[in-house]
Amino acid sequence: MTQFLQTLFDGVTVGCLYALIALGYTMVYGILKFINFAHSDVFALGVWMSITIAGWIGIGAAGEPVPPWYMGVLVMLLAMGVCGAVGFTVERIAYRPLRGAPRINVLITAIGVSLFLQNFGQLRWIFGAYPKAFPTLLGDQTLFSLAGVNFRLSDAAVIGTAVALMAALQYLIFRTKMGAAMRAVSFSPRNASLMGINVDLVISFTFVVGTMLAAAAGFLYGVKYGGQAKQTADSMWVMLGLKAFVAAVVGGIGNVRGAVLGGLLIGLIEWFGVAYLGSQYRDAYVFAILILVLLFRPAGVLGKATIEKV
Amino acid sequence: MSTPPIVLDVQGISISFGGLKAVQNFSLKLPRGRLYGLIGPNGAGKTTVFNLLTGVYQADSGTITLDGVKLNGLKPHQIAAAGLSRTFQNIRLFGELSVLDNVRLACHLRGKHSIWSTILRSAYHMGQEAAIHRRSLDLLGILGLDSRAGEQARNLPYGDQRRLEIARALATDPKVLLLDEPAAGMNPQEKKSLRDLIRQIMRQFDVTILLIEHDMGVVMDICERITVLDYGVTIAEDVPKEIQKNPKVIEAYLGEAAPAAH
Amino acid sequence: MPTLIEQARSNKPAAASILPRAIWPLLVGLAIGALMFYVIGPGMGDYPSKIVLIAGINIILAVSLTVVNGFTGQFSMGHAGFMAVGGYVAATITYYGSMKLFGSADPAGGVLSFTGGADKPTALARWGDALFIGSCLMGGVGAAIAGYIVGLPSLRLRGDYLAIVTLGFGEIVRVLLQGTHEQIQPWRVEDALAKPVYELAISLGGPKGFQLLPTYTTLFWVYLFVVVTLIICYRVKNSSTGRAFLSIREDEIAAQAMGVDITKYKVRAFVLAAFFAGVAGGLYAMDIGAINAGDLGFLKSFDIIIMVVLGGMGSISGAALAAIILTILPELLRNPPPVWPVGLVLIALIAGVSSYRKRFRWKPIIVIAIASTLLEVGRQIALSKGINVADFRLILYALLLITMMLVRPQGIFGIHEIWEILPGYARREAARNGARGGSQGGKP
Ligand SMILES: Nc1ncnc2c1ncn2[C@@H]1O[C@H](COP(=O)(O)OP(=O)(O)O)[C@@H](O)[C@H]1O
Ligand SMILES: [Mg+2]
Repeated sequence: MTQFLQTLFDGVTVGCLYALIALGYTMVYGILKFINFAHSDVFALGVWMSITIAGWIGIGAAGEPVPPWYMGVLVMLLAMGVCGAVGFTVERIAYRPLRGAPRINVLITAIGVSLFLQNFGQLRWIFGAYPKAFPTLLGDQTLFSLAGVNFRLSDAAVIGTAVALMAALQYLIFRTKMGAAMRAVSFSPRNASLMGINVDLVISFTFVVGTMLAAAAGFLYGVKYGGQAKQTADSMWVMLGLKAFVAAVVGGIGNVRGAVLGGLLIGLIEWFGVAYLGSQYRDAYVFAILILVLLFRPAGVLGKATIEKV
Repeated sequence: MSTPPIVLDVQGISISFGGLKAVQNFSLKLPRGRLYGLIGPNGAGKTTVFNLLTGVYQADSGTITLDGVKLNGLKPHQIAAAGLSRTFQNIRLFGELSVLDNVRLACHLRGKHSIWSTILRSAYHMGQEAAIHRRSLDLLGILGLDSRAGEQARNLPYGDQRRLEIARALATDPKVLLLDEPAAGMNPQEKKSLRDLIRQIMRQFDVTILLIEHDMGVVMDICERITVLDYGVTIAEDVPKEIQKNPKVIEAYLGEAAPAAH
Repeated sequence: MPTLIEQARSNKPAAASILPRAIWPLLVGLAIGALMFYVIGPGMGDYPSKIVLIAGINIILAVSLTVVNGFTGQFSMGHAGFMAVGGYVAATITYYGSMKLFGSADPAGGVLSFTGGADKPTALARWGDALFIGSCLMGGVGAAIAGYIVGLPSLRLRGDYLAIVTLGFGEIVRVLLQGTHEQIQPWRVEDALAKPVYELAISLGGPKGFQLLPTYTTLFWVYLFVVVTLIICYRVKNSSTGRAFLSIREDEIAAQAMGVDITKYKVRAFVLAAFFAGVAGGLYAMDIGAINAGDLGFLKSFDIIIMVVLGGMGSISGAALAAIILTILPELLRNPPPVWPVGLVLIALIAGVSSYRKRFRWKPIIVIAIASTLLEVGRQIALSKGINVADFRLILYALLLITMMLVRPQGIFGIHEIWEILPGYARREAARNGARGGSQGGKP
């Protein structure tokens, strides 16, 4: 029973992280209809920017006292800002000139961007090519225990922040003018521009929001798991990003609520697989799910199937 | 005068996209060797009918039979193999390939292609490639495109692209040919020769044609019978003379050029 | 009118011309392999000929991926996965097969490639390279089966989804191979002899990789396969099957309407490509003497993709050329030569060709001029500061990919072969097509 509850709890926590990353994939896909392959690298960038910024401020080093919680929030916001700027730049330079180009070309560009971010980050003037310790930005105390499952402060931070950000995004998309514009562009960029919507601006904005969410996920990942962060070109980041992508597809790509649902599902499936079937094949479970979903419900759980107009 | 046997028999097909009933209860009996027309204002559902017949969309209800073979549920390539071929209103050539290769690809359907004989260049393979080559050049010759055989399809002028679409469709050796606005974008001179071309094709290839066309001059001239669609509903089905007089048809076209006023 | 099949039958060329046509690629492959092995390799010295060998393996990988990503327009990101499957199959058969047949995991004789074996104790032991090459082919078959298994369900997916699924496939292969048991070491032949085959087949070294394999791969075998791969892919491209591949890439809906069973052809493309990748995996494993699935993850797949994209999405010779260039490039970057001369040669080439075709184009010339100037500046800075440019290799590749998509998305040669863009080709081709009913479509 304890194991079951623990697994459930871990699955949900990780699922929240997947959901945050999946939102970026899904938002970009909804509007531009392409898989931003470089999204997982933005996530890694979020982790590394958090480390760097905490270093600049001078908090969280090993052996020092834990900084007040708002310093952690500050680090997260700064990392989100930097990553947002990176997302903006990437979209401007690499993706915008390819509007209307074949999907494959955009995908190749995205792979190029991904390779660039990975290896640029490894330069010794940037983050360096070696793992680095994630600073301690939050106390590790247990808030309460339930049926043998410990509820830690870091878990509360992950789940709380993720839920807050998702709520904010929900508000942004369904309650604001910008959100209405985003939905219009996603429905039909041409019609949206005929209605006087600045499509380029909306796309840039979407990119920035998506990358900021990934950066936040990166920060939360660091807070939750701590330890040594792998260098930016490590395949681990791509794997994490891919799982989040799978989450987006499972939920129904292009569908914001689907991404959240998919994230939680993938988190749970992965953790239950590891707990009850064995951990060495953990990556295989997620991809098996992807293949099953694509075969039997290609539009995802919440997605709607569309017929290409001929 | 006895009518020839029905080659394409469509009974009550319908499809809707979300709330939009794009085609409702469409029926058609097309006798062998005849040329029938399908007209209607923009957005009436004509192209959708073609997409239903060729398996691009699956009909929500109704049946389609080609020469005794039921087409419902078949994949598009199986329908092509059964003998139904088409052109596309918004031209869908293989743009990067040469004009010749566009037609050679379509000849593919009637051949046999094992990977081994391709790799080893077996005698059968060589004979077939030669036959395909000659047949494709013949077809291009009939459509007046033989001088452009080596050019990339997307570099052709518009009218030539439309004719290449016809050549490609003919290369699959169809029983029934569906032409979707073949005269669109052509000048009057080209339209006139297109009319002659369609007649020649029918004689030479023994093929039955269903034609969508906006140019009433062409339609009224060459079609034996015409079906009129409006908002997915069949509003008339008759010989051209009667269609021109039909008040419902005239009303449907109100705002557009009336069919009689060519 | 006679049907196409009847016409094809009546058009068959004389039987006498068939056998030579079927086997000349093999003969040319043998000749070029022998030339590489006996003349060019020894003439170059050890290290350069090692690079040439790796270039050959990369050519096989890039050209085979061209069948999927170039001709058929599908986007596979799991090519290294097929290479891993083939490599492990080949390594398993060669390694444990050597133990079972020859009583040792050391390389046995090389009768087939005339590389000795006269000194071997038994007649059987002279056939070591026959075992090796057979196992490479089996590796190809294993990879092809994997290609079929991946292809069948996932090819119903649209391009970018397929990319992710193939990537996932590659990773699953890696995870599974890294989960295998310890290998039975070469000095414990009795253990290997005692164990049943299925147990050997899962004792592949796990995360440490499969090591101490007999090294049979030589320039001869690699270039034999290079030639065979090139010719087979070329024959496929210039056939009905190849046109079906290309039509899928151009427009799936039109292809279906013209009777192309797109699922069948996509699977065919996958199987064909996977086969060659599997063979390349075998050659790779028995060159290094070890294979580790950890090295054959998606980064390796990316390497191959870059070759295909650079060479041209659908150009066999372009992909081969790109494979050669990208194999040599890291070596060049260790000690970068001046860039400007290369730029000048390229500019002269483009100017020459384009003015010959009466379509003089400034854009590529300006781009190359600017790019080579920038690279030269970078080189000077690197030289003056003592920076190792090879560290920037992947950043350069990344920028290359992005620039390529912005400037020339179809790759250097597009779907054309290198000779097809040379002066005079179009004219000769037109003359050939004009000859009605001329002997045949492709070249013999
Ligand atoms: N795949 C599709 N999804 C949604 N609507 C469609 C689709 N295909 C056609 N339609 C709609 O069906 C109607 C009929 O279109 P169409 O058959 O192309 O008309 P036309 O008679 O001009 O050829 C149009 O309103 C069109 O927008
Ligand atoms: Mg239409």
